[in-house]
Amino acid sequence: MARITTITFLLAGILAFSANAIAQQQTKPNEHDHHDHSGHTTTQDSTDALTEHDHNHEGEHTMDHSGHHDLSAEHPIDHSAHTADPQSTEHGDAHHHHHMDHDHIMDHEGTMIMGQNLDKLPSSCKSISEEVEITVRAGRKYAAKFPGTAFGFDQQQWHVKPCSKVTWHFINEDNIRHQFMMHGLPKYLYKYGMFHLEVTGPKTVSGTIIVPGSDDTFLVHCDISHHMEKGMKAQLVVGKGGENIPSIPGLTPYNINDTYEAENLPRISDKAEQNTVIKQITAFTNKNFQNYGMLLSGLVIGLLSIPLFKKILFRKRVLSA
Amino acid sequence: MPNHNFIALLTFFMLTSASIAQASLKLPETVKVDAAALTAEPACDPKISPAWREAQEIDGVKIEASPGCSPDNPAWIAAAVKGTNNISMDTLMKTGLSPDAIIKTDDLDGDGDPDRIIIKLEIMELNGKSPDFPGLLPTFDIAPGIQPGAWVFAPKTSGMSTENFESVRANPLLRLPSPVIRVEVGDIVQIVLENTHYFPHSIHLHGVDHPFSHGEHGGQDGVPQTSEVELMPGERRIYQFQARQSGTMFYHCHVQTHTHLAMGLAGMIVVEENKPNNWLQTLNIGAGHVRHPSVAVKEQFDQEYDLHYHAMDKQLGEIIQKHNDPRLIARDMNRRYDITDSTEDYYTLNGLSFPYTLRESLIIVEPDQKIKLRLLNSGGELIAIHTHGHHATITHYDGVEHNPVAQIMRDVFDMAPAQRLDLKLETVNDGKHSYGEGDWLFHDHREKGITTNGMAEGGSMSSIVYKSYLNGSGLPKVSHFGIDLNKYFTKEYYERRLPIWQDLDETASLGSPAGRMGVDAATQTSLLNALYGLLIGLFIYLILARREHIKQCAVAAVSRLKNPKGSNQ
Repeated sequence: MARITTITFLLAGILAFSANAIAQQQTKPNEHDHHDHSGHTTTQDSTDALTEHDHNHEGEHTMDHSGHHDLSAEHPIDHSAHTADPQSTEHGDAHHHHHMDHDHIMDHEGTMIMGQNLDKLPSSCKSISEEVEITVRAGRKYAAKFPGTAFGFDQQQWHVKPCSKVTWHFINEDNIRHQFMMHGLPKYLYKYGMFHLEVTGPKTVSGTIIVPGSDDTFLVHCDISHHMEKGMKAQLVVGKGGENIPSIPGLTPYNINDTYEAENLPRISDKAEQNTVIKQITAFTNKNFQNYGMLLSGLVIGLLSIPLFKKILFRKRVLSA
Repeated sequence: MPNHNFIALLTFFMLTSASIAQASLKLPETVKVDAAALTAEPACDPKISPAWREAQEIDGVKIEASPGCSPDNPAWIAAAVKGTNNISMDTLMKTGLSPDAIIKTDDLDGDGDPDRIIIKLEIMELNGKSPDFPGLLPTFDIAPGIQPGAWVFAPKTSGMSTENFESVRANPLLRLPSPVIRVEVGDIVQIVLENTHYFPHSIHLHGVDHPFSHGEHGGQDGVPQTSEVELMPGERRIYQFQARQSGTMFYHCHVQTHTHLAMGLAGMIVVEENKPNNWLQTLNIGAGHVRHPSVAVKEQFDQEYDLHYHAMDKQLGEIIQKHNDPRLIARDMNRRYDITDSTEDYYTLNGLSFPYTLRESLIIVEPDQKIKLRLLNSGGELIAIHTHGHHATITHYDGVEHNPVAQIMRDVFDMAPAQRLDLKLETVNDGKHSYGEGDWLFHDHREKGITTNGMAEGGSMSSIVYKSYLNGSGLPKVSHFGIDLNKYFTKEYYERRLPIWQDLDETASLGSPAGRMGVDAATQTSLLNALYGLLIGLFIYLILARREHIKQCAVAAVSRLKNPKGSNQ
């Protein structure tokens, strides 16, 4: 009977161990998926060819600084998009010569709306399912509930129905620049698949998009150096959503974690023991307690189990006799 | 024990040792690294348009030619001269600056130039850790493959911190060093610090005439122990001053200065003399050649260069690459990092080390020119800048003019930390001011100053190049001397994986030797394994051959052990 139990336990143990190993193997490829700088998986949908294509744009973009001054008064990124690939329809039909259009609006303080879409239906939608308004607050104070972050949005996740028209009211409560930048939207409607609000606070900026008709999850972040890394990251879930975005405070685990260790910080209880001699003695015993304590407990266990050993040995002898 | 086994073993050993002995008669062959195996970068960054080098006029702003390989974006210069509030939207869009980055208004003294200047600075991290992927973000290379963690004051930008969504390379406005600021005597200047970083910071205006406290804006010496509390993340502070004296000065963060300054929060600030129609280039992003010099400088000089020397400790920069949690970074920076045990590893000129200094920080001259050089040392140690082929005159120390009669000429310029020197470089071929045309090195003569993390050639060295020694892409023409600079534009060079003298002759006589000849480590271990196998086999054979004998012995031993027990019972 005992043997059977042992074997059962052993088998269960092996099973648990291998299951754990398999799970680890499964999580690893996912992590790799997120290794682009956004950690956004929906961009993975785009083929290699597409990515290559974007790189080409970038090349064109930087070369453009020299020449075609007359071409466009747009943001450099848009500018390059037009000149690089005139055949492409994904950048929209407009060939704007002024920044004050629905695609890139900027005021004298740098308040910016880019990639707004008020009326173009995604191909996966027959009509707009609902019109919603979402207020997003951004600032340092929203980092408070997530220790180890510096900046944050008031919420880390928003849910909307597929094909809904969403108007975002982005309230920056800090006295610096913040962004509400969304990635992975269909590129035929949104240049670079981006929708972008930017404002120096305290101030509000609003912009509207129409989300696609399929279930998906989109990265929302602030792209100012290390604002996303330090907490300003969230996701928009359309319908049932797609794969979660990693390292959203309080929502999804980090791909790469820091190592933490407790520090020997001063405590009030340290102060209570006024006598330095007592302090030293306690410090010594505290330090050594673990070592000596373990030794002592081992000894006690050993002493206590002497009768047990005796019994076993005695029984054996009896048996052999 | 069968004797033939031992004989076999012996023969095997002798054979092995014989082969080793024979091999050691000859030393290892030379292994030459194939150039195709290196990560080669073009010497001149192809992303920067050659058209930027030309003399041009944008929005009415005259921009001098800058024939080096990586000149400043002319749109930056136009925006810096007129202010982002006064340039066309077209030009603004080419800068990447926020529309409120540089605001210039009100000609208060009626001399034809604006006198209210607002400069907005943000604080950006370069080469920091990401919780999402194992690389750094946003990246800025000071030399091929060298990405020290750094913080900079950056002009207020618009949009992304990287070049684009797919790239991890920093937006060109986010770079070392912090930009050079230029203002005029009498200007009412507001430097607005918008702390976009996750740590507290401040600005101290070293050498600039500024009030200790301002009625509206409070204390403004930048020192958290004397004038103000630290400016926390997400907050904004205005530093306002109206300078009465001109000179080359210094601005830097004064919070935890021993780390924040070395991390890169340090820049040059120049107060220019008040002259009519003096539209200054308020920011010289990346320092170096001033392509729109002030009226006073133009009166006396043909050219002007800002030369910002800096030094960084590798271990300090690595703190922001090791942790993402600001609390852990604060712990390591403030309490675990010990500057008294630290060493400087990276020496930069205008934010870059050789060979990238050749792209941006050449002093490109013609014969019989007068060139103004403004030098700042923001490193932690004294430096000694030597100009090959030239003696220059020191005209100003720490922004104050030296008595003209007593001004001296030197070819080594020693500068303590935070010191500034203004030099007058005259390219007059008289054997003293200049020895004639050439590609003359200028470098820190503490020899570690020409290394990058101890690997020469690197560090802050650059060249005074006469135009006749400049090639078509704006780099020094050295190929006619048989010199090939391409090896420096590989990251393997600074990883110390390239034997630097291997190409000096055909036979690569000073190349890298191959590993030990004859039996290498791998063969040795496999031979040893074979030997062990042989021994085990022998042992098993012995057991099998003598199993009867062993059995008998065992039985005998057991019975001997059992017997005394039995007698006891």
